[in-house]
Parts: sequence; structure tokens; C-alpha cells
Amino acid sequence: MNNREKRGLLKRILAKRGMGQVITVTIGLIAMVVVFSFLNPFFLTSRNISNLLRQIAPTLITGIGQSYVLITGNIDLSIGSVVGMSCMMSATLMTKGVNPWTAVLITYAAALLMGFLNGQLISKAKLPAFIATLGTMTIARGIAQIVNNNYNTDSIGQAGAGFMDFFYYGKTFGLFNTIWIAFALWLIFNFILSQTRTGRHLYAVGSNIHAAHLSGVNISATITKAYLVSAFCSCTVGLITTAISGMGTMDAGTGYELYAVAASVIGGVSTLGGQGILLGTVIGAAIWGVLQNGLQFAGAPVAIRNIVIGVIVIITVLLDILVRYNKKAGRRQAAAEGTHVSV
Amino acid sequence: MSEYIVEMHNISKGFPGVQALDQVSFTLKAGEVLGLLGENGAGKSTLMKILAGVYTKDEGTIKILGQEVPFLTPHSAQGLGIAMINQELNLCDHLTVAQNIFLGREVLRGGRLAERAMNESAARLLEEFQIDIDPETLVGDLPVSKRQLVEISKALAHNAKILIMDEPTSALTAKEIQNLFATIKRLKKEGCGIVYISHRLEELQHVVDRVMILRDGKYIVDMAFRDTNLDEIISYMVGREITEKFPRVETKRGEKVFEVKNLNAGRLVRDINFSLYEGEILGIAGLMGSGRTETLRAIFGADPKTSGQIFIHGEEVTISNPEDAIRAGLVLVPEDRARDGLCTRLSVRENIGLPNLDHISNRLTVVNHRREMEITAEAVQDFDIRLASEESLAESLSGGNQQKVVIGKWLARDSKVVMFDEPTRGIDVGSKVEIYQIMNELKQQSIGVVFVSSELPEILGISDRILVMADGRITKELKVEEATQDLILHYATQFEKKLDPVEQIEVG
Repeated sequence: MNNREKRGLLKRILAKRGMGQVITVTIGLIAMVVVFSFLNPFFLTSRNISNLLRQIAPTLITGIGQSYVLITGNIDLSIGSVVGMSCMMSATLMTKGVNPWTAVLITYAAALLMGFLNGQLISKAKLPAFIATLGTMTIARGIAQIVNNNYNTDSIGQAGAGFMDFFYYGKTFGLFNTIWIAFALWLIFNFILSQTRTGRHLYAVGSNIHAAHLSGVNISATITKAYLVSAFCSCTVGLITTAISGMGTMDAGTGYELYAVAASVIGGVSTLGGQGILLGTVIGAAIWGVLQNGLQFAGAPVAIRNIVIGVIVIITVLLDILVRYNKKAGRRQAAAEGTHVSV
Repeated sequence: MSEYIVEMHNISKGFPGVQALDQVSFTLKAGEVLGLLGENGAGKSTLMKILAGVYTKDEGTIKILGQEVPFLTPHSAQGLGIAMINQELNLCDHLTVAQNIFLGREVLRGGRLAERAMNESAARLLEEFQIDIDPETLVGDLPVSKRQLVEISKALAHNAKILIMDEPTSALTAKEIQNLFATIKRLKKEGCGIVYISHRLEELQHVVDRVMILRDGKYIVDMAFRDTNLDEIISYMVGREITEKFPRVETKRGEKVFEVKNLNAGRLVRDINFSLYEGEILGIAGLMGSGRTETLRAIFGADPKTSGQIFIHGEEVTISNPEDAIRAGLVLVPEDRARDGLCTRLSVRENIGLPNLDHISNRLTVVNHRREMEITAEAVQDFDIRLASEESLAESLSGGNQQKVVIGKWLARDSKVVMFDEPTRGIDVGSKVEIYQIMNELKQQSIGVVFVSSELPEILGISDRILVMADGRITKELKVEEATQDLILHYATQFEKKLDPVEQIEVG
């Protein structure tokens, strides 16, 4: 009885949409871990795993934000710059003697404002997401440069020790805090996406914006929420970056928006909107991290790592398209006996 | 030699889980218009897609112009003079009419595109068939009806001898339909064979010489049109006599549930006033572009209003977006289900849940999946939606079942007024009747029903009262007892004689 129930649950989990790709890439991830552990005996030591997880965390966090935005059928190019802005802002405030936690709150407020701006430009002013976030990307990077007069900041010093422990160096129950932060954010945002009205609205907007509108979904609020989540995640990563080096660097976060796209897309989030689950984003981020870490261990130079990761992104998406194309072709044929083929 | 330009013998085709065609034979003569009829899923499109090389047959032989063709691809079919004009038009919006007509076989002069020569030859072609379109217009700027004519011209430019038209009139106005029929007659005279697929049986009499009926992938009958009538055709299509095409129920007219006063919203919604009572279905008739859809959208808050008041059960409600309307108990089943009705890549459950999330989620907005499954299962049962599972993607359903999902998502909540915009377009006869019955049930439950349709028989068959619109105004209100097709058409063509100059600027 119990067994049957379990099987039912397993079946239900497998039947969940988007699970297919998650399973495929999980197998890929396991294969990579196996290969790297053979190449390098230290790969699977608890010390390296702990470091690896901490290394993955920022990609996962920005990946969560990017996944939210991608699911609505948009894109957020401002992620990396918001990371940089948050890093510089928090560090500048702290070096000016502001209490670190006050600085954190102010920084979140500024980042959320950026997210709000993105959401409004896209949903109200109807700018294409690519253009709107390209604009805010440049603006946020400019702010990152301006807050400390075009210099990286000094060390945030002893006053920032608690802050640095909280975001990066400290451990709780034997795991780095950064990992816990990523895990907590994942839990919260996964819950919102899969269990709440807002989550459903995000999928609906990405799947068919007209139908969502006529179903009473507030399009503008929904898209804005996605960008707020993205900005929140970027800001968190910005704070982590500040904690890592204990200072603000103006070019922090460069390229993160694309890593976030990579993590999402490898995990099965469709850039066309309406599709994907955050479990996939975790696996996507893990693949990204394992490759970085494993190739580094194996002695591969940065350039080779970049090439490998780029190739992996293309292959996973290609595989996904091939699978989907076959399915669709089957469906199209099945639908063909009906004379009315919906447009 | 045979007189047939197409002979298909014992064609079979199976898809996973369904035998779409079972030993079907088909013939087409030169200079003939053949109506290919059948309910959704009967196999008409599959048969024609085999002829056009889109699908490959499992069994059977195909002869074209007397030559046996063992293997057809879309390209070789085109080479043999077969052209299929789909419901979804295959044109590039950003190219001109002439560029579309010559797409893939552009005329070159010294390696450069000879735009002028192509424009001229496109113009000659269009003129020959008396199609009034400038070849240099962008296709994206043309109304759907004209795009269809462009598609036909494109086929003719390929010297097509065998034309397959799938629901060619569904987006056309009466006048455009007449033009199309004139074109078809001209093609007939030139010796083309035309296969005409349509659900609009009333139109057949104007063009069709012969009808062939398929049912469940099997050949049923083939007869000269003059020897048959619509009742007989329908009975072959569904395999049983339909004694009453429009199920009508009589209820007593009760209190006023809904009233619209002085509604204005742009050129196509002007001074709209009407009331709706308990226990009645209010039909809105009119030609394409008369403002019916626009009126419903403005009422529903999907498009902005310039003025107007809306009352539900005597109380005025402010509706500035669809959310307000839904909260007030006023819902819209939109016209274009693929564009406006469904999130096609979400599941049936998610689609039905979408507008009802307020009812099935708690104060923290967490969705109760069990409640969602319940309302979905209820809708599936109530409306007899045929699907593999509630988790099936909406796009995997047939047109009729998709439409039932769109209706189901709205009726899962207690609405006071339901507005249907062309709910039966493009779906089979059986599903149509089911949708009429749903409207009747609502009427019996004292829910106000507004019903927009372009098909006069169904407006007459289902409504209790009919508003006729033309040019964005209501030109007449008719009780169903006094209404006839002629009368409705008369008021539907009462266009305004002259446009206000200010509005003309707005239009341009």
C-alpha cells in the first residue's frame, strides 16, 4: 500500500512538466562529477564540495532571478550591473561609517528600485525587455562607478566583520552561510513560483500574454514582480561579493546575467517564456559550477573553461529543441485529423 | 485517358493512437469544385496534406494528371501544380505583396533583384483575377481577407492546377466572400480543380459542384451537389439525423441583470445601449468589422472606454480592466481562442485554474492544488471535455475541446453575465451543439448570456433577442420571432453614408 503510494508520488513527480529536462541534465551532472572525481582524487573531498557549493551559490541566486524573468517571456540583462552597483553601494556606505546592516537595507532598496524601473519600462511603457534592461544595465554600472568617485572602495574593515561572516565566511551547521542563503532563497522563490497565485500568473504571462490579460491577470504587476525578484537576487549576490573581498569593486558581477541565463537554460527554463522550474536552475547552476571547479582542478586555463561552458549551453538547448521538435511534430500530426488547426 | 486530374486510391494513414485515414479514395476533375466535408477529426486535412506532400501515406496510390506519383514532398507537389491555402496563411508580413508572390523564385537581372519586373508581373496577375490590391503594399498592412487573396495569387503564379482551400471564408466579410467565389468560378473556367473544405455549409451552394464526405477517417459518400441538400449532408457527416439543429429552451424572462449605457470606445463602439434580462440569450449580429468584438472587449475592460456606464443587477460597476469585470461577475469568452483564450503551453488544469485563483487560493495566495483539480475535474465532466489527462497541454486538444476549456475556465466561478464571442467558429457540428446547450443551461440558471456570432442561422436559432450592429452602432433590435436572415442582413448593411471628417483622420 505504502509502496504503491510512493510509486504514485514518483510517477506524479516524473509527470510534472519540465521534469524531463531536469532529469536529463541531472544525469549529465552526475556523469561530470564521476569524471572529475576520477581525474582528481581531491574533487570529492568534503572540503572541495563545501567550496564548490559556495562557488555555485551566486550563480544559483542570480539564476533564480533570471528564471523568474525568463518564465514571463522576458530577459534581464541588468543582473551583472546590479550586482556591481550593490557591491559598490554597500561597501561605500560601510567605509563611510554607516552601520553594515543599515547599508544592506539601503542597498536592497536601491536595487529593488532598479528592478521596479525594469518592470515598469517593460510592462507599462512597452519597451522590449532586451532594450529596457540594456539601458538599466548601463545605468546601474554607471552608478557603481559614481558612488565612490570612480574608485574601488577601501576595505570595509573591522566594522564589517559580522557582515562578512554572515554573507560569506561564517558557517552554520557545518556549511558556509552563503550556501544557506542560496538554499533559503531557493526554497522561498520555488514555493512562490510553484504554489502561489503570483507564480501561476508568471507562467501564464509568459505562455500567452493576451489570454492572461483577458483572464484578469494584472500583466504589469506580474512582470514587475519578476524583475523585483531578479533585482533582489542580484543585490544579494552583490552583498556576497562585497563580503568576499571586504571591499567594493566597480566591475563586480560583469557577465553574471549571462551565467544566470546559462544556469536557467541548461536547467530547462525556456527563453520563450512559460516554461521551466527552479529545480532545473539548481542543476544548471551546479553544472556550471562543477565545470568551472573541475576544469580548474584539471588544470585547464580560463579560456578553455569558457569555451567548454559555452559549448555545453548550446548542446543542452539544442537537445531540448530536438526533443521538443519531435514531440511537437507528433502532436501536430495527431491534431491534423481535426480540420481546425489552431494558429 | 482519365478525366481526373487527381486520383487517390485506398489511402491509409495512421498516427500514434489513431487511424486518421482508412482506405479512402478520392478523385478530382479539372474544372470542378469539390466540397470535402466532415466533422473535426474526420480526416479531411490529413487527406489533403498527403496530397500536398506534407504527410506521407502509409498505403495507397496517388495519380496526378494520370501519372502515378509514388512519393510526394511539399516541393514536388508544388512542382506538379498542387497548392494548399491554409487557414494560417504562410506569408511574410514584412514583405510586399509582389515580394511574397515571388518568394523563393525571385526574378533576377544581372544578379540583382528585378523589383520592378516582379511588381509589374504581380500587378498583371492580380488584375487578371480582378483582385484589387497594390502589389507594392506590405502584406502586414493588409486585412486578413486580402492576405488570403494574395496567397491564392501566389499559388496561381506557380501555375497551380489543383488548389486546396481550407476554411477560406472564415475570416471574410460577405462582400469578400462574393469576390472569392467569383475568383473560384474564374479558376474553374481555366480548368483548375479546387478542393473546398469548410464548416460553413450554407456557403456550399454558391460554389460547389460535388461533395465528398468523410467520417472517422472513412469514405462515406460522394454526390453531385444538385442531387442533395444540407440536411442530408449533415446527416452523413454526423452519421445520424439531426432533428433539431438548434436546441432551444424556453424560460420566462425575469429581472434585468445587466445594462450598458452610452458606451463609447473608438470608431467601432459608438453609443451602445442595451439591457439583458434573466433567462434570455442576447444575440449580437453583424458583419465582420461591425464592432461586435470591440464592444464586448470595451465592456469587459480589455480595451479602454471613452465613456459609458455598466450596471449589474441595478448597481453601477466601474470596469477599467478585466480584473474589475471578473470581480463584478462579468466574463468574456474571447473570439480567438489560440490568441486570447488559452495559454496553449500550460495544462488544462492550469488554464481552468487561471481566472479562478482567487477562489482556490488562501489568504497568503497559496494555490490549493486539490481544489484546483476539483474544479478542473468538474469542468471536464460538465462540459464533456475529451482529454488524456487534466495535465495535458491545452494545445494538444482539438478545436472543439479547446473551446470547451475556454468556456469551462469561466464557468467554474459564479458569474452573473457571460459574453461569448464567436464561440463556435471553426469547430465541428457536434461540439457546436454542446456549446449551444451550455448557453441554454446558463440561461436556465438566470445567468445573462450575450452571444456574438457571424453565422445567422445560429444567432436565429439560439438567441431570444438580437441586436444588429453596423459601423460600431446598434442599428436594430429584433425579437427572435420577427427576425429573419434577410432582415438581419438588411440592418447589418446599414452603413453610415458619410464619415465624420475628424474620424476619418483618426482612421487613416
